Amino acid sequence: MLKIQEIRELIKLIDKSSIDEFQFENEGTKIVLKKNEATVEPKVIPNAETPIFVQPPQMPAPQATQMQPQPAEKEVQQSEPKEDKNENLHKIESPMVGTFYSSPSPDSPAYVKVGDKISKDSIVCIIEAMKLFNEIEAEVNGEIVEILVENGQLVEYGQPLFLVKAE
Amino acid sequence: MRQQLLEMLMNHQGEFLSGQQISDQLNCSRTAIWKHIAELRKQGYQVEAAPKKGYRILSSPDAVTADEISIRLKTEKFGRQIVSKESVSSTQEIAHKLSHEKCEEGTLVVADEQTGARGRMGRPWQSPKGSGIWMSLILRPEIPLQRAPQLTLLTAVAVVKAIHKVTGLNAEIKWPNDILINGKKVVGILTELQAEADRINSVIIGIGMNVNLSSDELPDEIRGIATSLQIETGQAIRRADLIAAVMKEMELLYKQYLQEGFHLIKLLWESYALSLGKRIKVRTISGEFEGFAKGITDEGVLLLEDDENQIHQIYSADIEIPRS
Repeated sequence: MLKIQEIRELIKLIDKSSIDEFQFENEGTKIVLKKNEATVEPKVIPNAETPIFVQPPQMPAPQATQMQPQPAEKEVQQSEPKEDKNENLHKIESPMVGTFYSSPSPDSPAYVKVGDKISKDSIVCIIEAMKLFNEIEAEVNGEIVEILVENGQLVEYGQPLFLVKAE
Repeated sequence: MRQQLLEMLMNHQGEFLSGQQISDQLNCSRTAIWKHIAELRKQGYQVEAAPKKGYRILSSPDAVTADEISIRLKTEKFGRQIVSKESVSSTQEIAHKLSHEKCEEGTLVVADEQTGARGRMGRPWQSPKGSGIWMSLILRPEIPLQRAPQLTLLTAVAVVKAIHKVTGLNAEIKWPNDILINGKKVVGILTELQAEADRINSVIIGIGMNVNLSSDELPDEIRGIATSLQIETGQAIRRADLIAAVMKEMELLYKQYLQEGFHLIKLLWESYALSLGKRIKVRTISGEFEGFAKGITDEGVLLLEDDENQIHQIYSADIEIPRS
C-alpha cells in the first residue's frame, strides 16, 4: 500500500515531468493519475525549454570552433535573441544535483568572478550533495562572461552554471 | 617480509619463536630477521630476544602503521595498499595526489596526526596525535556521477557497524553521515569527488574518528557536542582493530551496493538513523528552518516537511536535533 505522502510525492513528480498519464497497480491497489492539460500546460512549457537548448556536452574547445556553423544554423530558427548572444559561449554545466558554492568556505573569496581568465583545470565552484563535494573544473580555456547561479543555490543536473568565452 | 614476521610473532603471542624457525619459514637469513626486529622495536613493539629461545612479542603499540593494520585486515582490496604517515596536513590531500597518480582502488591513507584537516564549509577538524583515526579511502566506482553521494551514506553505515563490532557501542547516524553516540559526535565523514565532465575518476572518503581522546583532550568549543569511543566505553581502543573493521564493513557494503544498488544501504541507514521521524532544525547556507524529518529518498536526499505541509528536499545542510 502506498502511503498518502508517497502519493503526494508521486503527484508532484508527475506534475513536474512530461508524463501525461500514470498508472500504478500493486496488490489490488490501483492509482491512475492524469494531468489536466489546460491547467498544466503553461507550467510545462518553460520547463521543457531548457532541454531544447542543451548543447552537445562539453566539446574540447578547438573542436567546438570547427563545428560552430552546424549547430548555429539549427539554433537560429528556434532561439530567441538572447540565446543567440550566448550561443558562441561555452556553458559549464552542473554534473549533479546539489548545492552550488562559489568559494571553498563562506569567508574565503570566490573561485572565479566575471572577467577572470580560466584554464581547463581551473576550479570554478563546488557542488555539494550529502556531504560529497565535487570541485568543478572549467574544462575549457577562456574567460568567465557570466555566473548564472548564486552561492548556496540548489542546482539541477545539467544546469548551466557559467558562461565562458572560449579561446 | 617484516609484515610476515610480525604476523608470525603475533600468532604466537607469549611463546618464543626461534631464529631458526623464523628463518626457515620466511626463507631469510638470521641477520635479516634481526634487522626487522630492530625496525619493529623502533615502531614501538616490545620484542624480547632470549638466547637459545628466540623472539617473542611482549606488547605492540597502538599504532596506525601499515604493519599494524595489515596483520588485522580481512579484505580483498580495501586497505591492501596503505600509506601511513606520522603527521600530515590532511590525509585527503595525499589521497588526492595518489588518485591522480592512478593508485589502486581501496588505497588507504592514514595519519597519526593531521595539522590542517577541514570539515564542512572549511571548518577546522581537530586531529590530535595518537588518539584518533584520521584516514582517507580511495574508491573508483563505475557508477553515474549522480549516484556518488549515496556512497557517503554507505560509509556511515559501515562505520557504525565497525564501531559496534569492535566496541559493542550502538552508534547512530545523523543525516547524512555524522556518527553520534549518546547524542554526541564521534565520527565525521567528508567525501570529495574527482571527475572529468560527468565521469567519476575517484571518490575520496575522509573519515575522522575520535577514538582515544579523553574529555580533557577534546577542544573546549566542541566538548559539549563531541565525544570519543574511549569516553563512551571507559577503555582505550586499539585503532588498528577499528581501521581493519571499517575496511571490512566498507568492502562488504560496497560490493553489495555495486551489485544490487542503494536499496539495502538505505534500509540499513534508516535503521541507524537518529534524525528521522523527529522535528529537526536545518541550517543551510541560505538560512535556517525547522520541520519534520520524514525520511530520505532513493538518492539519500533528506525530506523535510515544514509547518505548511510542504515537503522540501534537502541536499546540503547541518542538522540539529533539539533535545526533547
